[in-house]
Amino acid sequence: MAGVWILAEYIEQSKELLNVGRELAGQVGVELAAWTWDAAWADECLAHGADEVFLLPPLSVDQGLDAYIRIIAEKARTIMPEIILVSSTLKGKELAARLAGRLDAGMASECQGLRWDGEKNSLLAERLLYGGAGVQTVSCLGRPQIATVPPRTYEVASRSEAKGGRLTEISEQPSSPVAILERKSREHQTQDITRAKAVVCVGRGMENQRDLEKARKLAGLIGGEVGCTRPIAEEMHWMPEDTCIGLSGKIIKPDLYIGLGVSGQIQHLIGTRDARIVCAVNTDENAPIFAGADYGIVGDLNEILPMLLEEIGAVKK
Amino acid sequence: MNQSLRGDVEMPNILCCYKWVIDEAYIRTGPAQALDMSVVDYKISDYDKNAIEEAMLLQERFGGSVAAITIGRPDDTKGLKDALSRGPQKAYFVNDPSFEKLEPAQTAAILADAITGRIEYDLILCGEGSSDLYAQQVGPRLAEKLGIPCISYAVAINVEGSRLKVERKTEEGLEVVAVPLPALITVAPDINTPRIPGLRDTLAASKKPVEEIGLTDLPGPYEARIQTVGIKAASLTRNGQKFSADKAGVKALVEALQKDGAL
Repeated sequence: MAGVWILAEYIEQSKELLNVGRELAGQVGVELAAWTWDAAWADECLAHGADEVFLLPPLSVDQGLDAYIRIIAEKARTIMPEIILVSSTLKGKELAARLAGRLDAGMASECQGLRWDGEKNSLLAERLLYGGAGVQTVSCLGRPQIATVPPRTYEVASRSEAKGGRLTEISEQPSSPVAILERKSREHQTQDITRAKAVVCVGRGMENQRDLEKARKLAGLIGGEVGCTRPIAEEMHWMPEDTCIGLSGKIIKPDLYIGLGVSGQIQHLIGTRDARIVCAVNTDENAPIFAGADYGIVGDLNEILPMLLEEIGAVKK
Repeated sequence: MNQSLRGDVEMPNILCCYKWVIDEAYIRTGPAQALDMSVVDYKISDYDKNAIEEAMLLQERFGGSVAAITIGRPDDTKGLKDALSRGPQKAYFVNDPSFEKLEPAQTAAILADAITGRIEYDLILCGEGSSDLYAQQVGPRLAEKLGIPCISYAVAINVEGSRLKVERKTEEGLEVVAVPLPALITVAPDINTPRIPGLRDTLAASKKPVEEIGLTDLPGPYEARIQTVGIKAASLTRNGQKFSADKAGVKALVEALQKDGAL
């Protein structure tokens, strides 16, 4: 019997969920199953610890992941898994919430930690609330217990020696009232900032759009990418929205983060707290960024940034 | 289900959902990592302001009507005025003293029951998530309860006859999708910039109708599907070391970064 299910939009995230899923399945004493729609990914899941893989029929070109919801929900009703883990990409979050709605099941969103409470026989999940000011621990009541997990929260599961997991092919055809007419890939501009080794972040304290060039130069020197706070993308439109760092944007884990004119709203700090070193320059000595920073300079960007470029440029030569 | 399907829906009836939440800017950390909520104010959840704004922008372009709906305790009326000052012609106030600290499954179930058989709609708009819980569940769950299509994280909405053309965010970029009405859409914060209501809007708001829906008007009960076991303050503090704002300070900072192996 498959008791822990995992589902992700990308194979990398499937492997991450197989890692935490394996641990939970062991504690609950049930099997671990993965859902996918790609035969090659199915093999990968089996090689990374899945006891069973449910292989869905492929989607037609105009269908999205939501076309699978009915099929997965029906299977969940018959098998009634203990836990369903979904990787919280945008489509993953929608799929999980709709699955929970359809099954009338409890769901913990965007969990940073999951553990099994053997005594109460329930999944305990840690997640942020109040814009990141608080950490909430929730337990799901009833079955199945659904949780979404942000990508890269867990390491990928290691390859296991062939254990002979099962492949179960699902024959029901996907369907959805939503038709995809066109896909627009993001313009090829920057590397994904969530994977960058270093990030220079531009905030509202940067007064002149021309100074973005200096931020890019600094990022180039430290081998990183440029990100921004929400107002820079949304109000000023200086940078694309997908470079926004924070709770509702990107969560970054670089070795070094340099905030330029970033005030450090709690929603933003949530996005930077996994950075190894946080460094900030801001004119306001009371800016909250300094409380969440390892190093800070209270000063004018117009003066400090050129000096920073010069000094870092010198050591990088 | 009670939706106004008039074949060709030229002028949609739009219902936008909003949540009245604690303004997190007022939350302090108390002793023992507890959250200090002794002095807090409330606000319309940030992303729900985008939902209300988008409803108004659609009405300006395509006509139709806009109503707002919210769930709360009977004294949470301040939010109604705020919501109505942003443009909707009417508000539905689903209230009961027990409607506090609801989890998303409950909120979606209550909304669905309040809407069904009572409110005509072609389009329901929600924010992508709430400012307090940010669970991003209520919109999609509500769509499932109502049995209507759902599109999440929309950044542009167009009405084309009886269907909508919507641009939504994906991991790779954007997708343009078509969906028949009635439908539910959750909007991303980058879809618009919410207007700031003026004095005239605030005055007009107090004259707009508010329809109350109580627990006794609903089939219920609404049991929680998740339980909060504990809440503590998030720890974000680092040992901030400051350097002077001059050449020597910058040099010392760069040296410190080098020492940490961060450069």
